Amino acid sequence: MALDIEAIRADFPILGRTLPNGKKLVYFDNAATSQKPQCVIDAMSHYYEEYNSNAHRANHTLAEEATTALESARERISSYFGTSPDQMIYTSGATEAINLVAYGWARENLGEGDVVVLTEMEHHADIVPWQQLSIDNGVEVRYVPIDTDSFTLDMEAFEVALEGASLVCVVHISNVLGVRNPIEDIVEMSHSVGSRVLIDCAQGAPHETIDFDSLGADFVAISAHKMAGPTGIGCILVKRDAMSEMGPFMTGGSMIKRVTTKGSTFQEGHAMFETGTPRIAEAIGWGAAVEWLDQFDMTEVHEHINDIASWTAKRMREIPGISIYGEPEREDSSGAVSFLHESIQSQDLALLLDEGGFAVRTGHHCAQPLMDALGVPSTNRASFWIYNTMAEAEAFIEYLLYVVERFS
Amino acid sequence: MQEGRRWPVHLDSVVEEFKGCFDAMERYELLFEYSKRHPTPLPVEEWTDANQVHGCQSRAHVICLVDEEGGFILRGGADAQIVQGLMAVTAMAVNGMKPAEVAEMEPEYADAMGIRSSLTPSRANGFLNMFKRVREEAALLCEVL
Repeated sequence: MALDIEAIRADFPILGRTLPNGKKLVYFDNAATSQKPQCVIDAMSHYYEEYNSNAHRANHTLAEEATTALESARERISSYFGTSPDQMIYTSGATEAINLVAYGWARENLGEGDVVVLTEMEHHADIVPWQQLSIDNGVEVRYVPIDTDSFTLDMEAFEVALEGASLVCVVHISNVLGVRNPIEDIVEMSHSVGSRVLIDCAQGAPHETIDFDSLGADFVAISAHKMAGPTGIGCILVKRDAMSEMGPFMTGGSMIKRVTTKGSTFQEGHAMFETGTPRIAEAIGWGAAVEWLDQFDMTEVHEHINDIASWTAKRMREIPGISIYGEPEREDSSGAVSFLHESIQSQDLALLLDEGGFAVRTGHHCAQPLMDALGVPSTNRASFWIYNTMAEAEAFIEYLLYVVERFS
Repeated sequence: MQEGRRWPVHLDSVVEEFKGCFDAMERYELLFEYSKRHPTPLPVEEWTDANQVHGCQSRAHVICLVDEEGGFILRGGADAQIVQGLMAVTAMAVNGMKPAEVAEMEPEYADAMGIRSSLTPSRANGFLNMFKRVREEAALLCEVL
């Protein structure tokens, strides 16, 4: 069944707004964060209006309702990602998820002589924790380069870098290039040399079905806010045997069994890593988001987004002075189109596009090593999602042409 | 500066020119033009880490000094023309003023030009960071002189 985009758009109240200058909003910054459907907003409001209470803390009715909702959301979300609730740890997002692996697993298991393999395509969230680990624990960090002609990972270099690897950390889909890495091959190759594997699925989860148990990765990091959920929540999916190798990261309330003046003992499983008051409203909102997403065939969603991105990229390549970084026309690309104009600086171009109502991102996208590899300081990026339309893309191209003609 | 006015009289004509723009796109176009009219530009060859203004989405660099008469001089350069245009207007405002006056100046002329109102706070940060740096350097020059 084809996607009914108008019906989908009707679920997102924000898409109907106009900007202060009277222009209708065209939201093309989905790789930064997606908009939220009404059901997510309602689920979070309902929690605050009807049963706001601290989960896992008391026996009164509200606390039980909040606890049930928090844990039901965990079941719904883990099921959506093809795994069981005991392999899912709530975090504040993908950044905290990766830090949890760095502090909770790597610091317990890696040291001098161990190797962590990264790629030049990683978001800073999947670089800086490993650089810090290298400073503190003496692990070696290796970077797999990208082929700047095809904008893909150099898989021959990856194979070489794997020698002696203890942990491989690779982004599923690049937030800059929209390129999908061959994560299934990467997991298999990494395991064949005895390495653990972390996949950063912050960009991938909104675009395709993630089946954690089938994928076989040891760790998968996910953010809710890029997939219709609220900000401030995400998770790390962790294989049971990898979780058993982890020690506590953040400590305090909730994650303990017993605290005395002499010391503390800790909970087991995901409870050990969820200290303090949980993000209850956010978890409930994320649960509503995956329920909303679950009504769609993600292959159809991907095709819809890819159609818009491919068309946009093709038309942009015809505009004099525009360069595109990535291959959005490839069938497995995710819908991010990074571009630069030769004479209109990226921040200028973003401001001029905003005047037309078009929300695009500008900057280094928290991927400075990738910017260095591409030889540019920043790019503009239009990124599409389920509710965007071809009519919006056509209006964008028309306005971009107008801006280029007027300002270049 | 006159009593109650927070920018020098000679900037009035610039402010009026921006006020007369039909819409934001025309203001941006005018800023692009002003980016080429910086009275004391800082060419790319002189951009260093030391003179970079941090916190801007674009690259921006400033050097502040005084001339033989003790007048303030703002040399500046940016890769984004909108920021460069704002720098040019700022240089037109502060060049020749006493460093003590520059150290106490407020960026109200940008509001009056209608520029800050067309930039979100985070975007205006680039301009405000540049302005803050200029005021800090002016204060330092006061101590030296």
